[in-house]
Amino acid sequence: MNSKKIFIVFGKEWLEVLRDKRTIFTTFLLPLILYPLLIIGFNAIMSRQTGVLEERGASVAVQDSVLNPVSARIVKSLQDIEHFDFLPASENVDYLYENKDIHGIVTIRDSLDSDGLRLYHVSVQFDAAKDQGQLVYDKVSSKLHELKNEFAEEHIKALDANPKIMSLVQVHKVDTADSQKKLGMILGMFLPYIMIVMLLTGASIVAADLVAGEKERKTLETLLVAGIDRREIVIGKYLTIISLGMLNLIVNLFSMSISVQLMLGQSGFDMAGVSIPFKAILLLLATMLPLATLFAALLLSISTFSRNMKEARSYEQPIMMVSMILAMVSFLPAIELNSMLALIPVVNIALIFKAVMVNDYQVSHLLITIFSTLALDAFAIWGSIKLFNSESVLFRSEDDSGGFKSIKKDRKNIFTPYNGIVYFSIALLALYYLGSRWQMQDMVTGLLKTQIILIGLPVIVIVMLLKQDGDKVLRLKLPRLKEVALIPFIAISASVIVTILAQLINEIFPFPEEYLERMSQLFEMDLSLWGTLLVVAIAPGICEELLFRGLMPRFFEKFGMVGNVVITALLFAAFHLDPFRFVPVFLLGMLLGYLTLRSGSIFNSMLSHAINNSLAILLVTFANTGFLKKLMMGEDSLQYWVVIPALIVLPLSLYIFHKVTRPEESSYEVIAKEL
Amino acid sequence: MITVENLVKEFPLKDGGKFNAVDGISFDSKDGEIVCLLGVNGAGKTTTMRILSTVFRPTRGTASIAGWDIVKNPEKVRENLGFLSGDTGLYNRLRPHEFIRYFGRLYSVKDSEITRRMNEMVELLDMHDFMDKKIEFLSTGMKQKVSIVRSIIHDPQVMIFDEPTAGLDILTARNIISFIRKCKDEGKCVLFSTHIMREAERLADRIVLIHRGKLLASGTLEELRSEAGESDLDDIFVYYVNRFSDETEVLAHEF
Repeated sequence: MNSKKIFIVFGKEWLEVLRDKRTIFTTFLLPLILYPLLIIGFNAIMSRQTGVLEERGASVAVQDSVLNPVSARIVKSLQDIEHFDFLPASENVDYLYENKDIHGIVTIRDSLDSDGLRLYHVSVQFDAAKDQGQLVYDKVSSKLHELKNEFAEEHIKALDANPKIMSLVQVHKVDTADSQKKLGMILGMFLPYIMIVMLLTGASIVAADLVAGEKERKTLETLLVAGIDRREIVIGKYLTIISLGMLNLIVNLFSMSISVQLMLGQSGFDMAGVSIPFKAILLLLATMLPLATLFAALLLSISTFSRNMKEARSYEQPIMMVSMILAMVSFLPAIELNSMLALIPVVNIALIFKAVMVNDYQVSHLLITIFSTLALDAFAIWGSIKLFNSESVLFRSEDDSGGFKSIKKDRKNIFTPYNGIVYFSIALLALYYLGSRWQMQDMVTGLLKTQIILIGLPVIVIVMLLKQDGDKVLRLKLPRLKEVALIPFIAISASVIVTILAQLINEIFPFPEEYLERMSQLFEMDLSLWGTLLVVAIAPGICEELLFRGLMPRFFEKFGMVGNVVITALLFAAFHLDPFRFVPVFLLGMLLGYLTLRSGSIFNSMLSHAINNSLAILLVTFANTGFLKKLMMGEDSLQYWVVIPALIVLPLSLYIFHKVTRPEESSYEVIAKEL
Repeated sequence: MITVENLVKEFPLKDGGKFNAVDGISFDSKDGEIVCLLGVNGAGKTTTMRILSTVFRPTRGTASIAGWDIVKNPEKVRENLGFLSGDTGLYNRLRPHEFIRYFGRLYSVKDSEITRRMNEMVELLDMHDFMDKKIEFLSTGMKQKVSIVRSIIHDPQVMIFDEPTAGLDILTARNIISFIRKCKDEGKCVLFSTHIMREAERLADRIVLIHRGKLLASGTLEELRSEAGESDLDDIFVYYVNRFSDETEVLAHEF
């Protein structure tokens, strides 16, 4: 790659950006004008409002049902409150309150306690949803608090005791959070959210224009034939997005910090020795940079994929929404960053941000955040370059080949990736809404119903409705003996490896308690061993395989065998709705996909799947018996060394499996023959 | 020089099948020669040119531009190739001189050389009046002139014009046509595509007829005339298309 050419592209893109009045307005002018106006204006209105409210006072009805000197003093003390009108309650007091003619009702009652002491109960009826209602309560209760102390003091004096007895125990507030820290806390709440949104908005302003815009204006092809490598184009544009996003962020931050400083100064916040923590903000800008690169790569991919700017804009929306929701984590008071959360993009930045603002963060979290974001970014930019090199993506608007479009329409195929995703989404929704409800009502029947009604049966119905040859489409072909004989070796060794992997993941990122509890329910069902095996191993072995190794691979055949196996395994892992087991399930899914697609028989993966699930149950059931005891570590974990034989057996058995199976007849031809 | 050998470009169809937009085409074009790729819309002209200009990768077959293989040395191919099509867009927010300089730099041409060549072309195409205006305010004809300068700023040995006059008014089209002639006079190798028979007749030294991705015939106008026994290029074209359809029908019967 030639960095000089990257910067030629970068320079030209910036020249265009600077000539675009819309971009200039939204990136520079708007933030510079908006915040001062917004904050100063808001501030002015607020301070005026509070003053006005106090002056306006309130009308309160007083219902004294005791009518003795004490209650009279209570009423009298209330009448001292400035700007308040107290009127004796008439019969229509409730009507007046409903009608908002009065803002509160104070009722005085009394009672005698067991020692014969007369207690006074003053109830304050008010509407907390109204400013004036809240004012009534605040003023009345603080007045009564004063009065209460007065009474107590008088009594103590009457008893010839020292009135200071009232304050024998005194609470002194020693707040170690200085103003600086308080400011940090406030900023830490809303700044991450604002900054992440700013960054994304800034970046998305140009992103759609950079590739989708070039397609729309038909300049892309000229650029492609120019003396520049496509990677250089992508990187040049990527840098443009990053720099614009960061610049937008900085401008916003600058304008906002000045306005906030003004606002805080006006609102009487103790500003002595307090400044916006610029050092922290600089550190944060540095952490925002990886996020900027990630957003840039994602937006660039979208822009590359889209046919025109409008399409790019609409594809950007989900990223916006998800990022905004993730960024909102900074508003949640209880959540603190840990190693697990430090891996989730956007969330990690929002939380590290918050921690840095109050100067209470771990460098390790900061590093995990930065590097995990950069790793994702590297993956995303690699994807962008891939997309940019893909003819079918770059020329999606292509209609120059009118000839083959007409041919296209003649041959309808329902097995397209799009339909596959639609089917998957429906199944996932059904699982989420129906399946989990059934399982909540009753674990055993719920699991069975989920497997049969939601997962297995629909596959068969779909195949029948489409008038397809089920045996062929779902690969319901009897496996050869050689293959079946190998499956136990493959399944058991793979299962061991995946279990150990899950254990390792658990070591690094411990599963939450409630999650483990939920999982253990599976093993504590009120069933015989055979019953458990049926529900947890055999049913999923059949039904999930029908869906993920039977129907699903048909939708993704155009991606070739490897692509197909990876995609269906990803869907399989996602289907388990369980972030903690995603990686292990994904790996298993790839193995199962390979077994079926390679051998052409779904029964191989069904058997393998059932063995895998059974093994988990058997391990837990017989953990303390016989030789199993030697393999186990505690009740449900395997000894780590067990992975060694598994690592030998799996590749070996897979190799033999690969040898004894012949690659399946090209799947496309199978389908084509059927149609 | 351009050589094209058995070029095939396969596009995947949505249902998983395949379609050959270019299906085994071979031809060549020498320096100082204008070769016209002639065919109806959808014949595979643009696809062929996109392969030659390294925008698409060929599925099978080879081609070379100025001696450089389009797959093995795409960057060398781009350096030696000027590409112009009738509906290329320009960057509206740039001025013509910025636009041309941008591409010159991408081709690694020295700034002084860019200036020299640009001035020369501005003189030739009478572009003084609008070199400092933003491109969005230019007329179609002016824009096309800017594109011409852009396509030749790195002084390429081979020029490819994809339907260069499509959608242009007569005066602008004439500019393009005289530019194509000028390229030939300078000894460049020129390939241009069109579906307008008259253009091919007026410009081309040799004509390559393609239809549905396949080569129908190639040769000078005279050679094609004598083989087809027709004098008008329209009729010649129809003659070859009919012959091609008959052949494919025969093939279809045999299988």
